[in-house]
Amino acid sequence: MEKKMNFSIMKFFLCFFLLLTLSGCISAREINDLEIVIGMGVDKDENPGKILLTAQLVKEDTAGGASGDGSGGGDSKAYWNVSSSGKSIFDAVRQITHKTGNRLFISHNQAVIFGNDIAAEGLQEYIDYFLRAHEMRPTALILVAEEKASDILNIKPEAEEFPAFNIAKLVNSYVFTSHFYKVNMKDFASCLMGATTAQLAPLVSIIQDEDGKDIYVSGMAVFKNGKMVGKLHHDEVRGLLWVLGKVKSGVIIVSSPDEQGKAVLEIVKAKSKVTPEIEDGNIVMHIKIKEESSLSEQTTTENLADNKAFEKIQEASAEVIRQEIMAAFDISKEFNADIFGFSEMLHKKYSKEWKTIKDNWDVIYPTIELDIDIETKIIKTDLLKKPVMPSEEEN
Amino acid sequence: MSIEKGRISSQQLLFLIAGFVQGSVLLIDFTVGITEHQTWMVILAGLAVTAPVIFSYVALAKMFPGMNLVQINDMVYGRFLGKVLSIYYIFFFLMTLSFNIRDVGELYITFLMPDTPFIFLLIVFTATCAYAVTKGIEVLARVSHLFVVTGLLTIISTSTLLFDQMDFSNFLPFFELPFIRIFQGIHIVSIIPFGETVAFLMIMECLNKTERVVKNTFFGLLIGAVTLLIVAVRNTAVLGRTQTIWTAPSFQTIRLIDIGTVLTRMDFLIGIAQTILIFLKCSIFFYALVVALSQLFGLKSYLPLVLPIAGIEVIIAATVFQSPVDHAMITQNAGIIYSAPLIFVFPPLSLLIAKIRGLPKCERGKET
Repeated sequence: MEKKMNFSIMKFFLCFFLLLTLSGCISAREINDLEIVIGMGVDKDENPGKILLTAQLVKEDTAGGASGDGSGGGDSKAYWNVSSSGKSIFDAVRQITHKTGNRLFISHNQAVIFGNDIAAEGLQEYIDYFLRAHEMRPTALILVAEEKASDILNIKPEAEEFPAFNIAKLVNSYVFTSHFYKVNMKDFASCLMGATTAQLAPLVSIIQDEDGKDIYVSGMAVFKNGKMVGKLHHDEVRGLLWVLGKVKSGVIIVSSPDEQGKAVLEIVKAKSKVTPEIEDGNIVMHIKIKEESSLSEQTTTENLADNKAFEKIQEASAEVIRQEIMAAFDISKEFNADIFGFSEMLHKKYSKEWKTIKDNWDVIYPTIELDIDIETKIIKTDLLKKPVMPSEEEN
Repeated sequence: MSIEKGRISSQQLLFLIAGFVQGSVLLIDFTVGITEHQTWMVILAGLAVTAPVIFSYVALAKMFPGMNLVQINDMVYGRFLGKVLSIYYIFFFLMTLSFNIRDVGELYITFLMPDTPFIFLLIVFTATCAYAVTKGIEVLARVSHLFVVTGLLTIISTSTLLFDQMDFSNFLPFFELPFIRIFQGIHIVSIIPFGETVAFLMIMECLNKTERVVKNTFFGLLIGAVTLLIVAVRNTAVLGRTQTIWTAPSFQTIRLIDIGTVLTRMDFLIGIAQTILIFLKCSIFFYALVVALSQLFGLKSYLPLVLPIAGIEVIIAATVFQSPVDHAMITQNAGIIYSAPLIFVFPPLSLLIAKIRGLPKCERGKET
C-alpha cells in the first residue's frame, strides 16, 4: 500500500518535472520580438558584386493604432523599410539584423520584387534562397520593377496601409483585365526548370501625377534562362493568356457595324485548346479558342442588340483576339523566348522527336506556324436591350 | 513458448498493415528524385512485384501457426543457419528502425522545429515508441484503426483542397525515363513501403484465427498503396517539374494550399498525419525487433530489452548519417540492396524448403 503511495507521488512529481522541461520554449519567438516581413525587394548595390535587399517590416506598435485617429499620426507610417547590402540574399538577410536587432520573420512575405538591373543580370542565382528558406512560402508572389525595387516599396498607398499588401492586391486584380497574371515562386521555379520554356513575371512601376506617386502593375517581363530579355505590353500579355486559357475577364473594344461608334464587350468566359502537330518537319500549333462575352457598353445610337449586328461584332472581336495572339507571338519570336510553353506541349505529345527538337529549339521556335480558330459569342446585353435614344416611331 | 500473450484479429492485421505502408508516405520522396512524374506507375508496379512475396509471408505464417520468424528459421534451416539468418533479420530491423526514427527527426528539424536539438527529437519519439511497445501488440492494433483513418482523411482532404492547382498534363509523356531508372524506382518502392512488411512475420504469430488472413493482408496492402498513390499523384499534379528539387515534396505541396487567402498554412496537418503514421510503423518495427531478439536469446519476455534497444536506436539514428543527403544516397543505393534477399529470397525459400521437408512435422526445435 505504502509502495503504491510512493509510486503515485513519484508520478505526480514526474509530471511537474515534465511540465517544466517539455514546455518547448527552445526556439520561442514572441510576437513583439518578430520582425514580420511583408515584402522584399532585391536590387543591385553600388558596390559591384553586391546586392541591396530591402525588407518591408510591420511596426507592431503602430500597425493597429495609428489607423484609427488621423490627428496624432497622420504622417506616421505603419511600416519600416530596412535595407542592407550583401554578397548574397541570405548574407543580406542576416546583415539586416544589425539594423533590426532581430532575425527577419519571412513567413508572411507577400511578394518579392526584383529590380530591373538584377532581372537583366539573371534571377537564377537569387531565387534559390526564396525557395530554400524554411520560413518562405512557395506562394509568395514574384514581380519585376521597371526601375528599382526599393522605390516601389517606398510608395505609401492611399487606400492601404502597407505597400506590400497593396502590391499583392494589385497582382490579384489581374482577373479583371488579364493584362498580366499572377506568378508565384513555385511557378517561376517550375518554368526555370524547363530547358526551353521562358519565364514571366508581372511588371510593377511607379506612375507620377500631380497628386503624387502611384504603384501600377501591368505587362510582364520575359526571361530566358533566368535573364530578362524583354517586356510584354499588356495587350500582348492578353494574347499570351488567350492561348494559355488563362483569360478570366477583360474588355474588348470593336467598332460598331455602322462605324459610328464603339461596341465594348466584357469577356465572361474563355477557353483554349492547343494541339501541337508535326507535319513533314514543320511544327504547327492548332489553337482553338472559345470566348463568351457580354455587351457592356456601346457608344453609337444604332441598336446593337440584334443578331446581324451581333454577328459582325463577334467577327470583329475574333479578329481583335487573333491580332493580340499574333502580336504576342511576334514579339516572342523577336526575343526567341517560348512564352507559350509550346516546347512543353511538343515534349508531352512527341516525346520521341523531342530530343532533336530540344537541341535546336532556338532555331525551330521562329519557324512554328500558328493555326488559330476563334469562336466568339455574345451571350448577354446586361440591363439594356436598346441604346438610349429618341424613339424611332416619329420618323 | 510464446513471448507475446496478446492476440489480434485478422481485421486488426489489415489496419496494421495499412498503417505500416502509409507510414512510408514521406519515404516515397526517395523514389521521386529518380522516377519524377512516373512515380505513380512505379508504385503500382512495386505493389504488383511485391504482392506475391507478401503472400508467401502469409502462407509461411499459416504453415507455422503460433510461430514467429526466428522460430521458423530455426525449424527450416536448422539451429545454426537459422540463427545466422535471424541475426541478419535482426540487423535489418535494427537499421530500418533507426532510419525511420531519423526520418522523423529530419522532418521535424527541417520543417517544424529547426532550433531544437536533433537528439532530443529522436529521444522523445523513440521513448513514445518504446512505451507503445511495452503495452504490447494488442494496444498497437487497436490504435491502428484510428491512425489509418486519420492518415487517409488528411491525405484525401489536402488533395481536395489542392484540386484547383492540379495540372494533369504533368504526367505526360507517359514513358520518357530510361528503363534503368524505372527499375531502380520499382526496386526502392517494392522494398521500402511494401517489402518491409516482412516485419509482420514477427506479428502474425499473434493472430487468433488464421482464416481470411490472405484477404485482409491484401486489403491492408491495397489501402496503403492507394494512399501512396494519392500522394504521388497529388505531388506530381501540383508541383510538376519542381517535385524533384524539394527536400519533402509532400510538405511543399501542402504549403501551396491557399483557399481564399484564409485556408492557408496547412503544414501542421501533414505534420500530424506523418508523425502518427510513422509512429505506427516504427512501433511495429520496434516490436518485431525486440521480440526477435528475445526469441534469439531465449528470454521469457521482451520487456527487459525495450529500454536498452531504444537507447541503441537513438544512438544509431543520431550518428548513422551525417545529413539527409547522405541518408537518401545510402537508402537509394545501398539500403535496398542488402535488404533485398531478406524480403525477396528467404521467405519464399523457407516456404519451399518447408514444403519439401514436410514441416512442421513435430514439436522439435520449438524449445529455442
